[in-house]
Amino acid sequence: MGTVVLVLLSSLLAIPLGLASGIYLAHYATGSWKKWFSLAVELLAGIPSIFMGLFGFALILFLRKTLAPQANTCLLLSAGCLALLVLPYLILMTQTALEALPHELRLAGLSLGFTSWQNIVRVLLPAAGRGILSGVILAVGRAAEDTAVILLTGVVANSGLPSGILSKYEALPFHIFFLASEARSDVELAQGFGAALILLMLTAALFVGAYYLKSTFGKAWNPKNLLI
Amino acid sequence: MLVESLHVGFAGREVLHNLSAEFYRGQLAVILGRSGSGKTTFLRAFNRLNECFPRSETRGSLKLKLRGEWRDIYQNEMPLPELRHRVGMVFQTPHLLPGSIADNLALPVKLVLGLPRRDIPSRVEWALEEAHLWEEVKDRLEAPAHTLSGGQQQRLCLARLLALDPEILLLDEPTASLDFRASLKVEELLLTLKERYTIIAVSHSLSQARRLADEALILRDGSIVQRFSREDLQAPDTLQVLLEEMF
Repeated sequence: MGTVVLVLLSSLLAIPLGLASGIYLAHYATGSWKKWFSLAVELLAGIPSIFMGLFGFALILFLRKTLAPQANTCLLLSAGCLALLVLPYLILMTQTALEALPHELRLAGLSLGFTSWQNIVRVLLPAAGRGILSGVILAVGRAAEDTAVILLTGVVANSGLPSGILSKYEALPFHIFFLASEARSDVELAQGFGAALILLMLTAALFVGAYYLKSTFGKAWNPKNLLI
Repeated sequence: MLVESLHVGFAGREVLHNLSAEFYRGQLAVILGRSGSGKTTFLRAFNRLNECFPRSETRGSLKLKLRGEWRDIYQNEMPLPELRHRVGMVFQTPHLLPGSIADNLALPVKLVLGLPRRDIPSRVEWALEEAHLWEEVKDRLEAPAHTLSGGQQQRLCLARLLALDPEILLLDEPTASLDFRASLKVEELLLTLKERYTIIAVSHSLSQARRLADEALILRDGSIVQRFSREDLQAPDTLQVLLEEMF
């Protein structure tokens, strides 16, 4: 349950921001500002996940010494750090998918009198849906499996269901890591294998669902079909 | 329509040089010229679509009489979306929107005109009839638009324009990607439309210009070098001039 809440929360934080940034880079940013923004995204993509965890941990230490002495590592902090980790995938996939659309498609809506925003939302985003969906799936999958970030930002070995976004929580990847390294009996080790199997199935279900969505979406919105 | 000292360039390279011309309501003007002479750029100047290309620059004045009022479109006297729906454009190849035949008409009508949902089907039917397409597609309005033939797609694009109630039609070689029969159908349609709309068309075909045009302009290296009236176009010695200019 902890994993599901964590993935949902980090997706809620990362997906809107990632899509908006991708649209901005593909359609609005120009010149050196675009160059610097793209460089920042690429740098963010290159940061190892343990650094993201350390960033979250340092942030909490900073908050405790300054604005919020009661602040502690929690589900929200993990979700925020995971969102930062997967944000570059979302931005780059959205930007690439939008930039790969034929220029003619962009002109079609604009020449009819659509506003720039109407053109993006009603014509270009649906047409680029396949690529964007790939980015979302990749991001969600990455968020579900990462251990290094949550290790330093709020996950614990045994907390039951999370009571709120500011509480500690359990997550499958850490549970597997914990049991693999600290198992004291065959039963615990078997539990670890079971948890790994569940994580594997969860991720597989996610990818199968994504593949299905992609193929149905792709048939409806294949850009090759949009222009003769 | 009044074009005065129009200059258009991209990335510092001027494509149209100091163009001046007038176009009259209810007439079909054809712009002729070799490839690269600036015909499409000139056409796109009328709905400011050149601005969708990187580093475009336009100087000069282009005044259009829209809804009875003169507007200089480069003095920002009109919002861009409104200008583009009043001055509709059909491209060389059909630029379809995603979705079905009906979606291609309904979406612009809904977004641009803001028609209530109940009025959209009648508007779609009217526009398809105007484009002489209704009989061919009335039983498959929900089929994907890309399943239509090239000629039908081009007429769908025209229907989409007409549904938005434009005043000026810009046609960029609308029959370039069509076979002879499909071209003839589009030409017949244009002949009926020119009575109600001001039409400016780019064409590569001399015979098409002679069949359709009330006036023809020859563009060479971004400048207008000749103008011909309908009578001039029918004269045998004009053909020689046209052939020399275009080939």
